Amino acid sequence: MANWPLTRELRRGLATCLIGAVGLSGLVGLSGCGDASKKDGVSAGVTAVSPVKSPDGKKVVRLNFPVAESGFDPVTAHDLYSSIVIDGIFDTILTYDYLAQPAKLVPKIATEMPLVEDNGQLWTIKLKKGVYFAPHEVFGSNKRELTSKDVAYSFKRHYDDSLKPVWRFLTDGKIVGLNAWYDAGKKAGKLDWDAPVEGLQLVDPYTIKIVLTKPDYNFGYVLAHVAMSVVAREVVEKYPNDVLSHPVGSSAYYLKEWVRGQRIILEKNPNWRGGTWDFKPSGKDAYDEVIVKAMHGKPLAQIDRVEIYPIEEEQSRWLAFKNKQLDVLNMPSSFIKQALPNGKMSPELAAEGVRVQRLLDTEYTYTYFQWNDPIWGGNELHKVALRRAVAMAINREEEIEIIRKGNAVRAEFLVPPGVAGHKAEFTSSITYNPPLANALLDKFGYKKGADGFRNTPDGKPFTFKYTSTPTAIEREFDELYTKNLGALGIRYEAEKEKFADSIKREKRCQITTRGAAWIADYPDGDNFMQLLYSKNIGESNNGCYKSATFDALYEKSAQLPDGPERDKLYMEMQKQFEADTPWALGVTRYRNQMVHPWVVGYKKHPILLSEWMYFDVNMEKGK
Amino acid sequence: MLAYIARRLWQIIPTMLGVILLIFFLFSVVGGDPAYLLAGKISNPEQIANIRKQLGIDEPYWMQLLIFIKQVVTFDFGSSWSTNEVVSQIFATRLPASLMIGIPLLILETIIAITIALAVAYVRGSFTDRAAMVTCTMAQSVSILVYIIVFQYVLAYKWGLFPVQGWGNGFFENLFKFAALPILIALVVSLAPNIRLYRTFLLDEVNQDYVRTARAKGLSENRVMFVHVLRNASIPIITNLMIQLPGLLVGLFLIERFFSVPGIGREVILAVERSDFPVIKAVTVYVALATMLANLAADLLYKAVDPRVELK
Repeated sequence: MANWPLTRELRRGLATCLIGAVGLSGLVGLSGCGDASKKDGVSAGVTAVSPVKSPDGKKVVRLNFPVAESGFDPVTAHDLYSSIVIDGIFDTILTYDYLAQPAKLVPKIATEMPLVEDNGQLWTIKLKKGVYFAPHEVFGSNKRELTSKDVAYSFKRHYDDSLKPVWRFLTDGKIVGLNAWYDAGKKAGKLDWDAPVEGLQLVDPYTIKIVLTKPDYNFGYVLAHVAMSVVAREVVEKYPNDVLSHPVGSSAYYLKEWVRGQRIILEKNPNWRGGTWDFKPSGKDAYDEVIVKAMHGKPLAQIDRVEIYPIEEEQSRWLAFKNKQLDVLNMPSSFIKQALPNGKMSPELAAEGVRVQRLLDTEYTYTYFQWNDPIWGGNELHKVALRRAVAMAINREEEIEIIRKGNAVRAEFLVPPGVAGHKAEFTSSITYNPPLANALLDKFGYKKGADGFRNTPDGKPFTFKYTSTPTAIEREFDELYTKNLGALGIRYEAEKEKFADSIKREKRCQITTRGAAWIADYPDGDNFMQLLYSKNIGESNNGCYKSATFDALYEKSAQLPDGPERDKLYMEMQKQFEADTPWALGVTRYRNQMVHPWVVGYKKHPILLSEWMYFDVNMEKGK
Repeated sequence: MLAYIARRLWQIIPTMLGVILLIFFLFSVVGGDPAYLLAGKISNPEQIANIRKQLGIDEPYWMQLLIFIKQVVTFDFGSSWSTNEVVSQIFATRLPASLMIGIPLLILETIIAITIALAVAYVRGSFTDRAAMVTCTMAQSVSILVYIIVFQYVLAYKWGLFPVQGWGNGFFENLFKFAALPILIALVVSLAPNIRLYRTFLLDEVNQDYVRTARAKGLSENRVMFVHVLRNASIPIITNLMIQLPGLLVGLFLIERFFSVPGIGREVILAVERSDFPVIKAVTVYVALATMLANLAADLLYKAVDPRVELK
């Protein structure tokens, strides 16, 4: 609207006055007129037209969540977005190198990487001195230092049933004496927080030894998990039922203001210990050099204030970003083709200097077959043939092009890209091949009846009953699967129900087939391979797959660190998986982070939840 | 009159009991088990049992029903299962934003719809009347989603007349700046059906003998329309308004989501997505109660505008 003679602010002011004058003059005066543009600022919702600089001169970054947060207690947070905030507020023992690819563990409040002894069962951690929690009234006027006692207490909190903890599986049965301590507390009706736990040995205020029940070289990933963030016991005891509203951590930011579902404002922790930006380029991404050049040697946590706004609707997020009201945006899928036509930045955005970072998430989707189902599950050859035929008939390329809007790649291996144990060069033997799938079914006796649909080898009709939620994207899958399975002569039946109901039935092995996705809790292949381990039926093995061969390989691999020996086992597990075909592997989705030019040194890490302390904003560019 | 009000209030109790039973059946008996959602990605049966215990949904149904009745009687619905926020606090903090859109909207749509309905009823059968009705029919045929998407894109983003979305701190800032576009959209959406409805009410009266008599007596058209016709048409109009009143409690779901208005409508959607039954139950009970009270208020208003109405 270049020919519009009024400025944007004046137009907004006039519109405001018009609405006010027409509709509300009877209720209130017109005192609000004229101040619309004047009040444009970060304090008034996501409306700042002058980015990166708040009225008080602080460096600000404005982000958004597509879903409202629930609360900030590391033990109870079950949603990604609350966990992001927790990661910015609390410290974990380890964290991830900002640039390294694949993700690499580095110390956070540890002075160095833990000393791993006794065949991976003894982990000795030395904590940094001078790590202080953010000021809070429970600490009085003194600075409260984080010690090994806090680490042990934070680990124990996952066993407090009254909190409804969701991350207990990270340590469940893994630390010597921890489950026994929990059982004793349960028997007594009260957990004894001061009672020692054999596997959590407090050597001194800055040293803790963790003794594991069995060798686990991947325990470092647990130490870097946001759920294992370190809390202060005094704060927990001050707010026994409401820690999620009063998070007090020792990381770079503290919760300054929280209006639930509206805005989360974090500011730099006054007791922040500091640190220097010193990461090396990964060598796999040319932009790393630009980041290093811009950030090397700077103190960590350049940004003074982080503002996060939950904006659920995709158009609202997209327009807010284009309107310069958000600095970084995870591109909503509906607008991908508009922002990135043919995979390249649109000229409009390119002219504004907007940058895109495209990365594959550490995840994949899959469609599982119920192993206990009389038609679809089991080891008999004709059942394996049926599952494989379906896996070969699902057109993932069409899914990627139409449903995912070109924003995904086909998943080939059981460990996705960016996760230790992934095989980039591997190509699955199960490819899209409907003629071969039909031939396979013919060979194993799935003959077509008079209605054109196939029956089981003993002549009974059957269907591919697919359970999903009644959402738009699932309806697209229904169409795709109806078409793909129709090409095989298999009846498709869509069963719709609420997600909670599906999970409940899934844990009881009652769902015939369902699409699922798994995103890495930590970037190690074990987090994905455990999905097929039979002892995880009722927990994470949602297809209830049972294979003695796979189990034996998994148990062996779980005792090994990432390396050639484990990779060999993973290849064998992949072969067993393809032989049995308990799932049809789906896709790995891209994440497209759009970044305005004034955001300097930003890179979305595949695992790290909050990168705020590692990037900066250029106040000159943002003016 | 007081006896009538007391009787009607007394009647609320059995009605409310029916509502309670229905809500309880829908959410606690038929509804899903939220423990599975709250348990996180990996959980075992023991952990799920613990969550069910913490939520109190492992109790027998009769016990859960008694607890629910107690919650309704005391207006204490406990805390959200998902966020631990006290339900009364959720209403106290989200309702103002919804009302900031809902109340001006109700006032504006009523005044404008009645005015336009009167105008077209006055020229009934004319080109203007037909054009207005065709426009209303067309406007009604378009989904609210289309209005939201187009208005947000054109008026807010392209022309910069309003903020694209967001919510501030101050009353006036919110009312005049952030609520303006949501009100405008809701107004455009609601005007068409209301104009058609009110026009019908008014036409029913315009053809009555008393209108002819009034005109024969030489009264001005303004007096005939605004005093005689409007007053007699006001009973169905009041009914329509009172039906809309309880809706203020649940906000405008889509508009609140698109414009990031921290209102009760957005909260209800979140609660449904999270199977957060305490919030959903509270909203349902409040809306049921508000509906009953609005019905009572409508009956009292009938009497006020038409003395011939007898309250028995």
